[in-house]
Amino acid sequence: MSLRLKLLALGLATLGLPWAGCRYAREMEAALREGEQTSLQAVAQTIAASLQGRTDLLYREALRPAESTQDAPAPQASGADGARSAPEWTAPGPYDLRPLALSSAPLIDGYPDDWPREPAAWRYFSHDAQHHFGILSGVFERMLYVLLEVHDERALFDAPGSNWLDPATFGDRVWIGYEDNHGEQQQLFLAATGPGALSARRIEAGDFGEQRVIIEPRVRAAWQGMSGGYRVEIRVPLSMLGERFGVLVDDRDARGGAPVSYGTLRSEDLRTLGRLIVAAPELTSYLAQFMQPGLKLAIRAPDGQMLARADALAQARMLTAGTPLLARLYRRFIDRPGAPSLIEARAPIYARDSRAQIAALEVTQTPDRWLRLRDRALTRMLNFTLGTSVVAVLLMFAFAAWLALRLARLRRASESALTRTGLVTAFPDTTARDELGDVARSFSTLLGRLNAYTDYLRTLAGKLAHEIRTPLTIVRSSLENLEAEPVDEAARTYLARARQGSERLNAILIAMGAASRVEEAIGSAERVDFDLVALLDSAVAAYRTAFPSRAFAMELPAGPIMLHGAPDLIVQLLDKLIDNAVDFSPGGATITVRLRLELVGAFIEVDNPGPPLPVHLQGRLFESLWQSRPDRDSRPHFGLGLYIVRLIAEFHGGEATAVSLAGESGVRVSVRLPR
Amino acid sequence: MKRLIAIVEDEAAIRDNYAAAFMREGYAVRCYANRAQAMAACNARLPDLAVIDISLEDEPEGGFELCRQLRALSAELPIIFLTARDSELDAVSGLRLGADDFLTKDLSLAHLTARVNALFRRVDALRRPDVASDIVHRGPLTLDAERMQAQWDGKVVLLSLTEFWIVHALARHPGHVRTRQQLMDAANVVLDDNTITSHVKRIRRKFQGSDAKFDCLQTVYGMGYRWVE
Repeated sequence: MSLRLKLLALGLATLGLPWAGCRYAREMEAALREGEQTSLQAVAQTIAASLQGRTDLLYREALRPAESTQDAPAPQASGADGARSAPEWTAPGPYDLRPLALSSAPLIDGYPDDWPREPAAWRYFSHDAQHHFGILSGVFERMLYVLLEVHDERALFDAPGSNWLDPATFGDRVWIGYEDNHGEQQQLFLAATGPGALSARRIEAGDFGEQRVIIEPRVRAAWQGMSGGYRVEIRVPLSMLGERFGVLVDDRDARGGAPVSYGTLRSEDLRTLGRLIVAAPELTSYLAQFMQPGLKLAIRAPDGQMLARADALAQARMLTAGTPLLARLYRRFIDRPGAPSLIEARAPIYARDSRAQIAALEVTQTPDRWLRLRDRALTRMLNFTLGTSVVAVLLMFAFAAWLALRLARLRRASESALTRTGLVTAFPDTTARDELGDVARSFSTLLGRLNAYTDYLRTLAGKLAHEIRTPLTIVRSSLENLEAEPVDEAARTYLARARQGSERLNAILIAMGAASRVEEAIGSAERVDFDLVALLDSAVAAYRTAFPSRAFAMELPAGPIMLHGAPDLIVQLLDKLIDNAVDFSPGGATITVRLRLELVGAFIEVDNPGPPLPVHLQGRLFESLWQSRPDRDSRPHFGLGLYIVRLIAEFHGGEATAVSLAGESGVRVSVRLPR
Repeated sequence: MKRLIAIVEDEAAIRDNYAAAFMREGYAVRCYANRAQAMAACNARLPDLAVIDISLEDEPEGGFELCRQLRALSAELPIIFLTARDSELDAVSGLRLGADDFLTKDLSLAHLTARVNALFRRVDALRRPDVASDIVHRGPLTLDAERMQAQWDGKVVLLSLTEFWIVHALARHPGHVRTRQQLMDAANVVLDDNTITSHVKRIRRKFQGSDAKFDCLQTVYGMGYRWVE
């Protein structure tokens, strides 16, 4: 794992910041929610207080039982628990209608689709097993809606085009009875001649006692058949209605037959039996003044029946649709699934004397408001922390990259310092004041010393050769003089040996100075254009005669390869390569000299069978004073041969490499010479 | 009268050995350890030949200075540098100062005396005006083995003794390749390949000084050199 990656991982640890932020945001959300709950409770209580004792507003008609409470104050004021059975508010009688507070107006078409599905709100009335009907009523704005589902095996229409008053034409009829605003009992009947819309009609006595049928235009109704009966949907404006309301079904088995009458009207005189318990229409508009988007207000009677409501939850949802993408993204991370999305508050509404509960207020709020708040804070915080993290990560990465760069530079410098002939003393980063600077400085010092040492070693041979030359000259000239003197035969033998020894010493001296002489030759070399192929051809021919114990194979390209360089030096390079190949190959072996032309230059390769390259020498083979000759021979060796090869290759801008041949069968030294 | 050889060498043992060798050949020898002594003696009496080391006692380049001064005294005096130094630069500067030969101390005494003898022969030959013997003509090249003098198109090309012997060995048999070893033997020197190469390079340059198109001295890579007409 590189330093860069490590520091990057470290930088990623700062991502814990946004995580902590999320945790914080959740806590904040809880706190906000609590605060919102409290304030919602306060709102609920305020509204409830404003409605205290407003039975006129809560209920369309002053509740008779409520009046009775004044007569007999309830002994209990223990709390809201007993609200349902509180004496101030009598539970509705069997014939009382409790219309639902509808959230929208149903279409008067005889179909129940647009009614809320509330099975509990249905009231059922029956005469016997065959005769029963269900009634669902509701209020929307200033209208009362009634849905009747009458069970009737034989639904019967009035005879079409008939006289409404002729009993012979009567089919199934529905009577509506109500008390008008003046307390007068009124009746309307609905008689259908076919499915669809129908009119409500009223029977009036004319000036002369005759009966007339008048259409009541304020009432709308529709009739549709259903399996096992029929449905009637009715709309009556509340303004028409007083306190009481009822429905009576006349079920006839045959047109004009005697009806089975049952319902919430007395069948004898069609007087209403039950009340219409409905909130005042003003209540809704009263509630509306408290409305805000995302809020739902509902007032319920103590038994849980909803009296009125104002709903703006959907509006809030519309508002949230416009939140920025980022906030929505954040919310996806933070929201816990299953968290309650709505907050609610309830407050009882008391009668004027504050003792009896007459209704309850229910306030519901969508989370949007506090979510918006939270989102804003969260977005800002996450932006900050994420930004900080990103900056931190980037900074760390950049720092790591910079460090890595410096380290790499240091590494490169130290590597190249060790491989080049002259060590580089100019080391990077030595002026830096940090630990890397220290490292660079100590490296530089170390390399400086190493450089001096290597330099010393490199020049040692030359210096030694030079220093030894003078005493050697003394020895040799003395010996030569001695030969000229008359000495006896025995002494002559020793003299000859001494001569031989001094000659060998001399050869050693020449070998020791070879590298410095080559360096000198390189310094004064002149570059000319020459044909490398011809040079190799001629040189290898010479080696054949020089080394008769080895065979030489040549692989040369057909055409001439012109090179700009010093041919003398190239020949010397070849000499050293061949010398080397001969030294390391067994007698009779075939040494292959190959010239290949590639894009990057000409390659001279000399393959010799023999021992492979020792592993420990790999890479240092071309350094000065390195050698690995397993056997000793008479010629002096200082490990300068391949060093000279390298010097010459580098003079030509190329380099020398050595590899073991496949199967460890020998060594290939190859020299690249760029063209 | 014996010919007088002056040996300027700060190493007493070497100096005395050389002196003994020269005296055995029948020369008179005077030895000096430094430049001041040598100059004082030469001003009094010019030797017939001088063998000079480059570094003399406390003067590392004293031999060069001495050579310059001696050359100022006499244009004909044969001067041989005999030194432990073998750098190309030293050789070039020594020969440029007018030395007749530049030898390293690897040289055996026999070779050294052979050279000295040759140089005296040349001095003698130069003094005898028109003795035309042992002269080799190879196209524009004329080699006078007696005077050890080379001419190209009639113009004298100044060669050191070693250089002359190399050219002589090559030009005597044009077209034949002479290995480095053969050239060394001919020149009575023991040199390494690089020194031979630089000698050949110097010879080429000297001939090219007379004739820019000079191309007779060819390298046969891996083998040696040959003279081409």
